[in-house]
Amino acid sequence: MSLVSKLEEVLVCLKAGRVTLPYPAQAQPLPENFRGRPIFDATKCIGCAGCANNCPAREILVFDVCQEVRILQYLGRRCTYCGRCADVCPEKAITMSQEFENGTDAIGDLGQRLELFMSTCQRCGRCFKGPSVLEDLKMKGYRSDDLQNERWIYRSRSFLEEDKTVDDIQIELD
Amino acid sequence: MIAREMFEEFKARFGPLIDRADLPSDRRLYVFVDRSAVKYVCQHIFRELDARYVITIGADDRPFSGKFLVAHNFAFDKDHLLCSVLTQLPADDPKIDSITEMVPAASWAEREMRDLVGIEPVGHRYLKRLVLPDGWPENNHPLRKDVPWNAVPVEFDPDREFSFDEPPEGCTVVPFGPFHPTLDEPAHFRLYVEGEMVRGCEYRGFMVHRGIEKLAESVMSYNDIPMLAERICGICGCVHNVAYVQAVEEAAALKPPPRAEYIRTIMLELERLHSHLLWTGLACHILGFDTLFMQSFRIREPIMWIAEKISGNRKTYALCVIGGVRWNITPEVKTELRQTLDKLETEWRAVVSAVSKDRNIQKRTWGVGVADKDLVKEAGLIGPVARAAGVDIDCRRDHPYAAYDRVEFDVITEQGGDVWSRLLVRMKEVFESIRIIRQCLDKMEVGPLQLQISDELPIGRMGLSSVEAPRGESHHFVITGENNRPRRWRVRAPTYQNLQAVPRMIKDQQIADMTISLGSIDPCFSCTDRLETIDLRSGVTRVWSQEELLKLTRAKKV
Repeated sequence: MSLVSKLEEVLVCLKAGRVTLPYPAQAQPLPENFRGRPIFDATKCIGCAGCANNCPAREILVFDVCQEVRILQYLGRRCTYCGRCADVCPEKAITMSQEFENGTDAIGDLGQRLELFMSTCQRCGRCFKGPSVLEDLKMKGYRSDDLQNERWIYRSRSFLEEDKTVDDIQIELD
Repeated sequence: MIAREMFEEFKARFGPLIDRADLPSDRRLYVFVDRSAVKYVCQHIFRELDARYVITIGADDRPFSGKFLVAHNFAFDKDHLLCSVLTQLPADDPKIDSITEMVPAASWAEREMRDLVGIEPVGHRYLKRLVLPDGWPENNHPLRKDVPWNAVPVEFDPDREFSFDEPPEGCTVVPFGPFHPTLDEPAHFRLYVEGEMVRGCEYRGFMVHRGIEKLAESVMSYNDIPMLAERICGICGCVHNVAYVQAVEEAAALKPPPRAEYIRTIMLELERLHSHLLWTGLACHILGFDTLFMQSFRIREPIMWIAEKISGNRKTYALCVIGGVRWNITPEVKTELRQTLDKLETEWRAVVSAVSKDRNIQKRTWGVGVADKDLVKEAGLIGPVARAAGVDIDCRRDHPYAAYDRVEFDVITEQGGDVWSRLLVRMKEVFESIRIIRQCLDKMEVGPLQLQISDELPIGRMGLSSVEAPRGESHHFVITGENNRPRRWRVRAPTYQNLQAVPRMIKDQQIADMTISLGSIDPCFSCTDRLETIDLRSGVTRVWSQEELLKLTRAKKV
């Protein structure tokens, strides 16, 4: 009796064969709606703080540093990737990416910091998000107070390597 | 018997001792009784009406009514009725008669109530600390509303050792855990051993109680808590997620759309599938049969993938918000799910056919860790442990929720009450789960996923919810409150009741059977904070304190 069951068990194993993937070399493909690390899009964000209000882990902070600049800081330390922020975002500025290999030894590595340039309402004095970068460019003689998109600012060489705001263009300094 | 008839009976018997009652539906009954009568009402319910004890809840209601609140929850499984016996206690004298003498299953819950809320169960015979660490000051009760959620009292002494009871005469103490190869999570059992036989044991757990209830009651909001509830358990997270949401929905009288109910049912059953396969694997692993351990995990993997496809994550589905679900099941996923289930069914049938005749497993599990019908009643055991003892209870059928009232399935029972019966129950339940998911896929209606909620949820209402987790009934109790968060949220995970019976299950057994007896209830507990190193050369023992360990791990170079 027992021998039969042992043989059956052998059959189960043989039928399956080898199923283990050589993981770091080859990963199981991720489904489309996989919830990985949230990515915040500064061009779409309007600074409404809906994500900050709905984050179960309280991982998103929104605060104003001055009348025109609002900071949205995603800490990414105890984020559980539940995707509530992406759910409630009215502008779809947050995407749950496919990133899951997020092991790091530096606590700030997964964080993200958006500096949002807000305009002031002339009637009520409150902040709102001005036109997007693209719309800015379309305007004739647009205001140059948008530092993030101002490409011809003088910067010293030592500062350049670390600076993320101008890394999409090549500036030849010599 | 429906709630109204039950209430009439109480009224006829206890008359003036009943202050008031609340009957929100035929299946729920809240009776407020006088403090002096609690003992007798509970005895009547538990012994004469033969109800099942669920949980005791202590709540600090002083900011709202100026009183403490105690609720004893019972389930009438045959009558499909959940009943709560509530009592209000004056703020200056939080004492209540203990019901542990009549209802032994209430022992832990009353000790927990004393630790966390500071309500004294008068007449409890064993009032040792259960949840709080031994170094915690006597007069600080974290779940009281005047204690901040992040406060650590200055008198707290983290280095104080647990105080253990004296072992009985003639017995040797064998420590089992906190770290043991067969425990997936640490817990500490002090086994009293006479020769090879276990004569008794003392349990110390709750070592890193995470304070989830306090956090929810003071910091989070209604729709945040489902994501927190999910993290109560690493395996049956969706159960807690659904149970919490259902309790709030019941309190606020919200009815989720039918499609959402079907999706909840499907996800709960997917969870049961992967949990049962995992348990079968682990049980075999504990018995030293690693081949089947590997095969169970291989068969389980496609379920994790399909869950990931539906919800975006293998395990933490983040499924529910109040009034609905967040993820849809698209037609493509539906087809794939059907294929996965077909494959699973054939493969699992082969495994079951092999295992159910395997003499090696039978010899290790027959007559081991027996929980008979009496123990099930006295200790309030639930889930596969109860069903393996021939007690026919299953929340999915007895207290239907989500879409379980619209599907057909059998409740699997066995008569043995031993580990072998539990193995059989779990292996057969896999087929029932497959059956339920198939029916749901057929019957699922097209419609919205979430309810549009425009008003604030009402304040001060109570809701109960029992959800059948893979390990047994998971019970949530919610009182809604101000500031968009519940006033009190009590979670009773299935292991809470099942673990209390382990000392009785392992009594007079061989010490080698301890591991599988404990493993057979599919336990879920928490971990500890201490480590001992021995210098082999000098033989000097050094105990590392929590602070030293933290310093060590946080230092850049070890």
